[in-house]
This record gives sequence, structure tokens and C-alpha cells, in this order.
Amino acid sequence: MKRNYKFGIGAILLVSSIAYLMYAGVEQSSAYYFTIDEFLPRRGAMAGEGLRLAGRVAPGSLVSNTSSKGTEMTFRVGDFTDDAIAEVDTIPVEYTGIVPDMFAEGRDVIIEGTYEDGILHAKSVMTSCPSKYEPELEGQQAAAY
Amino acid sequence: MIELGRQAILIALLIAAYSIVMALLGGWTRRRDFVASAENGALAVWGAVLVAATILLHALVTRDFSIEYVAAYSSSTLPLYYSIAALWGGQKGSLLFWALILTSFSAVVVLQNRHRHRELMPYVVATLMSIALFFLCLLFFITPPFETLAVPAREGRDLNPLLQNYWMTIHPPSLYLGFVGMSVPFAFAIAALATGKLDTTWIRTTRRWTLFAWFFLSLGNLFGALWAYEVLGWGGYWAWDPVENAAFMPWLTGTAFLHSVMVQEKKNMLKVWNMVLIIMTFSLTIFGTFLTRSGVISSVHSFTQSGLGPFFLGFLALILVVSISLLLLRLPMLRSEAELDSLLSRESTFLFNNLILVGIAFAVFWGTMFPVISEAVRGVKITVGPPFFNKVNAPLGLILLFLMGVGPVIAWRRASWAHLRRTFAAPVTTGLVAGAACFIGGIRNYWAIVSFSLIFFVLATIFVEFYRGVRARQAMVGDNFLRALVQLISRNRRRYGGYIVHIGIVMIFVAITGTSAFRIEKQVTLNVGEIFEIGGYELRYDGLEERDTLHIAYLMARLEVYENGNHVDTLLPEKRFYKKPEQPTTEVAIRSTLGSDLYLVLGSYDAETRMATILAYLNPLIGFLYWGGAVLTLGTFVVILPVGATAPAAAYTASPIEATETRVSSR
Repeated sequence: MKRNYKFGIGAILLVSSIAYLMYAGVEQSSAYYFTIDEFLPRRGAMAGEGLRLAGRVAPGSLVSNTSSKGTEMTFRVGDFTDDAIAEVDTIPVEYTGIVPDMFAEGRDVIIEGTYEDGILHAKSVMTSCPSKYEPELEGQQAAAY
Repeated sequence: MIELGRQAILIALLIAAYSIVMALLGGWTRRRDFVASAENGALAVWGAVLVAATILLHALVTRDFSIEYVAAYSSSTLPLYYSIAALWGGQKGSLLFWALILTSFSAVVVLQNRHRHRELMPYVVATLMSIALFFLCLLFFITPPFETLAVPAREGRDLNPLLQNYWMTIHPPSLYLGFVGMSVPFAFAIAALATGKLDTTWIRTTRRWTLFAWFFLSLGNLFGALWAYEVLGWGGYWAWDPVENAAFMPWLTGTAFLHSVMVQEKKNMLKVWNMVLIIMTFSLTIFGTFLTRSGVISSVHSFTQSGLGPFFLGFLALILVVSISLLLLRLPMLRSEAELDSLLSRESTFLFNNLILVGIAFAVFWGTMFPVISEAVRGVKITVGPPFFNKVNAPLGLILLFLMGVGPVIAWRRASWAHLRRTFAAPVTTGLVAGAACFIGGIRNYWAIVSFSLIFFVLATIFVEFYRGVRARQAMVGDNFLRALVQLISRNRRRYGGYIVHIGIVMIFVAITGTSAFRIEKQVTLNVGEIFEIGGYELRYDGLEERDTLHIAYLMARLEVYENGNHVDTLLPEKRFYKKPEQPTTEVAIRSTLGSDLYLVLGSYDAETRMATILAYLNPLIGFLYWGGAVLTLGTFVVILPVGATAPAAAYTASPIEATETRVSSR
């Protein structure tokens, strides 16, 4: 029995270090995930926090400029809707870098970054790809192609 | 034809249900004819599903656009190769493909066991057919693959360009073979629990199946990583995306299972644990499918949400309730017949290996589900990114690497100090020397130094094993080195094949260490003629080139690659514009050398000024990912393939050989 007890101590040590690593990992890399309509009412409290925001690029809002520093772009993201959105219901985004192929006005995106002074400073822009597997809804399908 | 496909699925569904009832009745009443009928039912189910799958495949190959599925996933210009791959390119087709693999495996199990394991078989058949029934119900009621369009489409919408890639055609089938393969050991485990025949029979008889499933799960994960690397164009191969994690978790628990069953075979320990592991592994395959289909977790390269989520969740709940109830029922019979003797023993090393593998699986699960968990607890969705997974898994991975060196060679029961010194003196020295060499060579990344030391430690333990074995054979039989090596491996293929698999895994560790510790990444925006430098290469941007074909329009950036002033390569990273569906994709350009990959992506370009933004990566040692996979495959073949003589098998086949000889002589 004494030796099983030794093994028990080893196992407890191991399990607690896994738990610690997980705790520290969460502290270090967590980010709030919101859709734009969830985010709008809370934006005041979110300054400087790590964010992942999901929304749709507002039509007509994309401005980009390529220079030797890279491609700088600004655009606004709003809720997932095809209807026209008022500018107050969108968040302005600033981003310098490469965007995915599927990125365009009217596309669904997930943006990682921080929100400061009323602007979302994006670290990365990802598009949620609609067509890898079949969308269930016919309407969505029509929109995807 | 189409109607026949639909009917075939219905027939398969009905026979599967019949088989379940007959198998359970037969098992309960011990009526052999009932069981035999259930087994024949399982064969018939396989036949019916095969008919359905063949019809869908035929429609894809002949491009019959009156079928909705064919119109959605192929086109008249799609190459034949990808038309076949379209069978698993969409949800409906992939479910049918899944059912085909599952019922094929069931048929093989039935045929293999016509005269064996008669007590277990009713429950094995019932379990396998229950899983089949679930998929067939989905195929008949929820996502029928044979829906026709009211007006046949003139042209198909084509397979997603991202899936028109070599790795993507073989990645899903291998993953499915792995996922579905795990059903077989699971079914035998359930049968063992149901009948109370809890000795190692269920483990021994499914050992090949487990290995087979594990192998394809490994390849599936690896192919997925290579696909991401060559297609997605972000320079890496693993992003801890939920979809990747979904396939990785069953691999982890499956690996744990593969190791811990050895302890049960040798020492009659860990009986409950093995049951738990196989139940966990099988549940995780279903959970993974649930995760990717339900949209519970938003994933970047995700499968679009579909209505299948609740069904998978319900099925998962059913699996867990049934298997855990059975396990609890038999708990008193599963008491260990032996205890751990010492902390320094193979048993305890295997146990720690298991704890870590399951620990990693748990951490991956936690990280993947964190948004759901945090929303339930705090009302806010919080996601964790790759740093979480890396931070947790890097140290655990290194401990695992260490145990991979210790486990296979440390003595069972209790290792004496003399044994430890004899076994580990040389490998430990090798590891330390390798670490020191890294430091002297200028490496200051301590993770990498530790990792390389451990890698050399493990390789040394394996080398010593081979070396001693070969020397012993040479001393005994007097063979030359090569012959002795071949003899050594073929006489104990399970052991030495296992070592070869370990070498493959170590090589994958080399690639992971190289790419995570020494990767260089650069983003530059260039005018035509401008030069930039990365990791010893100089690259000159020579402008954009265009090419147009029927299927695709190409735009390429020409980059001339120089090393030490010599022109060594021309790389053409591309943007492709697929014409239907209209979709741009990025095609990376890679220069592979032994030591590293130079990996270029055309990020964006300005059509007027011809300026281009290039993302350049230098990925050191990534080639080991490919070669590690190849070595892992070789090792698995050595273990699994029924060729060559193994010591116990030779004794077993003695009588048939005699029989042949008598027949020859009598003629």
C-alpha cells in the first residue's frame, strides 16, 4: 500500500500542475467573445480588454491604402443583417496587414483586437467561411453562392 | 437509380433495427439461430449501404446534376479525382461515407468471428448496428443525400476550391477510418461488460483494430495539418482550432488506451481504467462530430452550422448513459488482481503516460469548450487562444517525450538501481551531450534545448534496444548485421514496430520544436525590383504575372530567390480566382530544403502600382513532420501486417503447413 501511496502523491502533483498550467493559460490568453449587438451596449467597459468580435462588414465602409508600410484599411462592422444599418450601430475598425481571401464588404468576420477611443484596433481579421460544408438553410445557401 | 439509393438506405435502416433486436434476443436467450440471423443482418446492412454509396458515387462521376448533392459539390469541369472526393466533400455525402465504413467494419468483424467469441458477438453486433442505425436514421430522415432538384441544374456549383487539394482528398477518409475504427474496440468492450466476460479477450481480439484506428487517426490529424500548412497560407500547420481539437482529443485518449491495455495484458491491472479510456475515446469521436456540426463553438474554418447538433448530442448522451451504467454494474468484477509494486517500474511509467495524455485531452477539451463554460458560469463568452494550448501542452508534451524514452525499456514491477544505471547511463549521457551541444551551438531558447536533449535521450534508448538485440542475435546465430536486424524485428514485431512508431513520433516532436522555437516571420510591401532578406535568403520581387484558364484565373508574384549571391530558386506565390463559385484563394509557394521551408504568401497587391505585400516565413525542421508521418506508417505496418513469421504465430500455423505437406505427398 505504501507504494501506491507514493504513486498517489505523484499523480496529485501531476494533476495539480496541469490545473495550474490551465489556470495560468486562461489568465494569459483569454478574450471576450461578442457579436456586435452584444458588444455595443457594453463597449464603455471594454477599453483595453482582449476582444473577439463577430459581425458583418458594413457595405460602403471599406477604405484601403497600400504603401510600403503595408495595406492600411478602415471599415465598420455591424450586426449580421442584410438591411441597411445606421452608422451608430456599427464599430469602426482600423487594421494594417493581410486579410483573408474571402474578406469583402458584406462578409461575416471575426476580428481580434482591442477597443480604445471608440475604435477597434484589429490584430487579426478572419472570415467565417460559409461553404466548407453545406449550409442548412436554403436562404443562406443562396446567399453563399 | 436515385429511388433505388433512397430505398437502399431505408432497407439498411430496417435490417439494422432487426439485427439489434435479434442480437439482443439471441444473446439473452442463447439462441444461436437468432444470433446468426443478426449477423447475417449486419452483412445485409453493409450490402445495402454499399449500394447507396455506389449510386451516389456513380451520380457524382457521371455528373448527374438533377441530384441536389451532386449539383452542390461538383461541376462539369471538376477533375474526376475530385469528383470522387466530393463523396465526402459535403455533409450528406460524408455521413453516407461514414455509414459505409462503419457497416464495412461490422461486416469484417462478423466474418472474422464466425466461430470465435460466440458469447461476446451478440452484443458486439448489437452495439455496432446501434451506431449504424443512428447514422442511417440521419441519412433517411434528416439529411437524405438523394434529394433531387425540381429542375435539374445545368451546371454544378463545384467543390469548394479549398478542398481541391491533394491532402484534403485523403484527410477526411483517414480521419473517418480512425473515428469509425474506434467503434470496434468499443463494441467489444460493451460486449465484455454486458456478458461479464471481463478477461483480456476483448482487448486481445481488438488489438489490431485499435492500432488500425489509431494509425488512421494519426494520419488524419497529420494530413489535416499538412493541408492547413499548404493551403490556408498563414505559415503554420496547427492553430488549436475547435475543428482540429475535435480530431486531436480522441487521438490522445486512443493513444493512452493503446498503452494501458499492455499493462492489463501483462499484469491484469487497470481494468476499469481501460474501459473508461475506450468509452471516452469512442464518445470523443461522436463529440468531435457534434462539435463540428452543431455550431456550438465558433470556429474559423468551421463547418457551417446545421440542424444535426441535437441529434449527435442525444446520441452521445445515450452512449454515455448505457456504457457508464454497464461499467458501474460490473465494477465489483473489475477489481485489479495486482497492485503497483514500485514507482520505478514500467507499470507506473505507463500510468503517468496515461495521466498526461488524458490531462492534455482534458486541457484541450477545456480550452475548446471555454466559451460555453464561461457563458454558463459568468454569462459572458470568453475564448482562449493558441497561447493557452501552447502554454499548457508544451511542458506536458515534454514530460510525455521523457516517458516515451523510459516506458518501453524500464523493468516491469520494480526497477533496481543497477538496472536503471545499465539501461539509462548511455541515453542520459547522450541527451545531456545533445543539450550541451545545442547551447554551445548558440541556441538560447531553453524550451528548445530541453526538447532536443529529450529527443536525443529517447532516440538513444531506442538505438540501444536495437543494438543490443542485434548483437545478441549475432552472437547466437552468427548472422550479418542486416540479417540479424531483420530477424530481430520480424521475431518481435510488436515491440520493434512500436519503437519505429516512437521514432516517427520523435521526428514529429523535432518538427514541432523547430517550428515553434525558431520560426521567422516577415511581412513586406514591395515595389517591383525591391529586395528583402529572410533567414539567409535574399528575395527580389520582379512583378506580377497573369494567366487565365477555363476553370481558374491566376495572378502570380514572381520572386527570385538568392542564397549567398547565387540564384537558387524562383517562387511564384499566387492568388487564384475560381470561376464557379466565384471565389479567390491564396496559393502559397514553398522552397523545401532539408533544414527548413521558405514559405511565401502573396498577401495583397495593388493592380495599378504593381506593389505587392508578401508574407514570408522560414519554418525550420518542418520536413520532419512529413518524414515522421512516413516512419510512423512504416512502424505501424511492421506491427500490424500479417506477414513474416512471429514467434507465437509460427507455432500456431504449424499444423496447416503439415497438412499441406501431407496433401502434397499423397498426390
